[in-house]
Amino acid sequence: MVKGIDITIPRQGIVGIVGESGCGKSMTAKSINHILPSFAQITSGSMIWHDPSGQVCDLVTLKEKEIRKRCGTDIAMIFQEPMTSLNPMMRIGDQIKEVLRIHRLETNGEKAKARVIEMLDAVEIPEPAIRYKAYPHELSGGMRQRVMIAMAMIGNPKLLIADEPTTALDVTTQAQILKLIRRMCETYNMSALMITHNMGVVSNICDYVYVMYLGTIMEQAPTSELFGNPMHPYTRGLLSSIPGVYDNPEFLKTIPGNIPVDRKKFKGCEFCIRCSNDIKKCFFEQAPLYRISEDHYIRCHVRGGNDGDINNGASVTEKEE
Amino acid sequence: MEDRLILSASHLKKSFRTGRNNNVLAVNDVSLEVIKGETLAIVGESGCGKSTLARILMRMIDADEGSIYFEGEEISGLPEKKLRVCRRMMQMVFQDPASSLDPRMKIRDIISEPLLAWKVYDSRSKREDRILELLELVDLKEDCLDRYPHQFSGGQRQRIGIARAIALNPKLLICDESVSALDVCVQAQILNLLKSLKQKMGLTCLFISHDLAVVSFIADRVCVMKNGQICEMAPASRIYNDPQHEYTKYLLSCIPQI
Ligand SMILES: Nc1ncnc2c1ncn2[C@@H]1O[C@H](COP(=O)(O)OP(=O)(O)O)[C@@H](O)[C@H]1O
Ligand SMILES: [Mg+2]
Repeated sequence: MVKGIDITIPRQGIVGIVGESGCGKSMTAKSINHILPSFAQITSGSMIWHDPSGQVCDLVTLKEKEIRKRCGTDIAMIFQEPMTSLNPMMRIGDQIKEVLRIHRLETNGEKAKARVIEMLDAVEIPEPAIRYKAYPHELSGGMRQRVMIAMAMIGNPKLLIADEPTTALDVTTQAQILKLIRRMCETYNMSALMITHNMGVVSNICDYVYVMYLGTIMEQAPTSELFGNPMHPYTRGLLSSIPGVYDNPEFLKTIPGNIPVDRKKFKGCEFCIRCSNDIKKCFFEQAPLYRISEDHYIRCHVRGGNDGDINNGASVTEKEE
Repeated sequence: MEDRLILSASHLKKSFRTGRNNNVLAVNDVSLEVIKGETLAIVGESGCGKSTLARILMRMIDADEGSIYFEGEEISGLPEKKLRVCRRMMQMVFQDPASSLDPRMKIRDIISEPLLAWKVYDSRSKREDRILELLELVDLKEDCLDRYPHQFSGGQRQRIGIARAIALNPKLLICDESVSALDVCVQAQILNLLKSLKQKMGLTCLFISHDLAVVSFIADRVCVMKNGQICEMAPASRIYNDPQHEYTKYLLSCIPQI
């Protein structure tokens, strides 16, 4: 389960949540969009939405109906496998047009169609007027992901949540889709939350990164800081596990063990069983988020120092390295 | 055929019928040589024909044209009966360990299946010794033997698949996207395992992947495929540092830099 996650997404910023599968990334995103599986509930906390108009509201307290209104307009989502979100029996253009109709963004059929074609063009689908009539299975994986992005963008959302949007794609297509998402953010004044297990995707597109392990944020920092100066043992392990393209050791330095399959409630640091620091305290007490430097925080007793806990408003120590 | 080669293929062609008047040329005039002891990687985008090529080389499917030599002997065109030795010497590790392991079989039976099929050991105890030896090679504990595949994580299942593949001491191991579905940490563990097994057992490896970073870690030589054809084949350092073909350059440019 995901617990006590604090994530801030600045306007027009692209923020990433990175971690291995089963670590709670998708759960975080879904809870933002309120499509939590029925067994999951937000038991505490809030999700504060800062509207550009200056209005502030807590999404957690919103009623079901208002939430549905916001999904697709204020917040939109794209997933790893577009095929599961697209209706195989319906022309892609009509599916996108549905979004306009449901949210009453454009009721005039002709105008709606024109807007859809414009959007297909914006996501760089060649011959948009012809592709409007295509069925999902007639398109390649990359094209289908573009359709999903068009469908997400047609409501002019302020936040796009992308859950492993390029995982099923080839590197070549991945590069194009990432470029497209970045351009969309700039053109439409939109923010994005990228959820991925792929460090390459994060380094390529995100401004700020949260590293998650078993539902807990272990480290957060601006992208260049995270890759240049990773502090948490988990982040370091993740990075050293990735084979390089131009430079490789004889053997990769890996994190020992596996992500536990059945997880029991645990008082200490989730990572301590696999951590190279063998410190007793870690088994009994979860570390607070320590501030390392401007915008860089880690949740680690050993590397974070013992006397800085930003959550309790205590003093903040500068970390030496 | 030269002694230094374990496998060679020339002018392989394979097309599939995809409609009444539609054919895809999945493998289009491919020739390659695999040198004993090396890891040769085949990279390319999905659909470029990597898996089809692997299945042709293993004689799982037949090519329309071309010939294949394994250890100096032509195996293309050989009837199934005469393929026995080469079947034993070539083994495959698949992408999805979940679907390549029978869910109703215990790990013990999965690993001993090839040993039984080939009647390698005449006594049960010798077979049991070999199973334990295999487990140790892939870093699994003995207590896993009486469990079923679904009780393991993806990485552990891949270890089981590898144990089964090396049970008969094959000479050539073909890994088709064997680490592609795994998370980075597990992927790193399995890559290390494959590399160390290769050293310990003197294996030759044909490593198929769409991931150029993974290939860079494991391959001695790299063969870049596009639309069923090989567009560049060279030592790994050459492919990465001095690519000749435009398509190789393009693929490299698409990798997000960390
Ligand atoms: N059994 C089959 N029937 C029809 N087409 C096939 C079959 N197997 C592969 N293909 C086609 O052959 C091409 C190459 O596929 P494949 O060898 O699986 O590529 P890769 O492994 O590189 O992704 C693709 O266009 C694929 O659709
Ligand atoms: Mg394949």
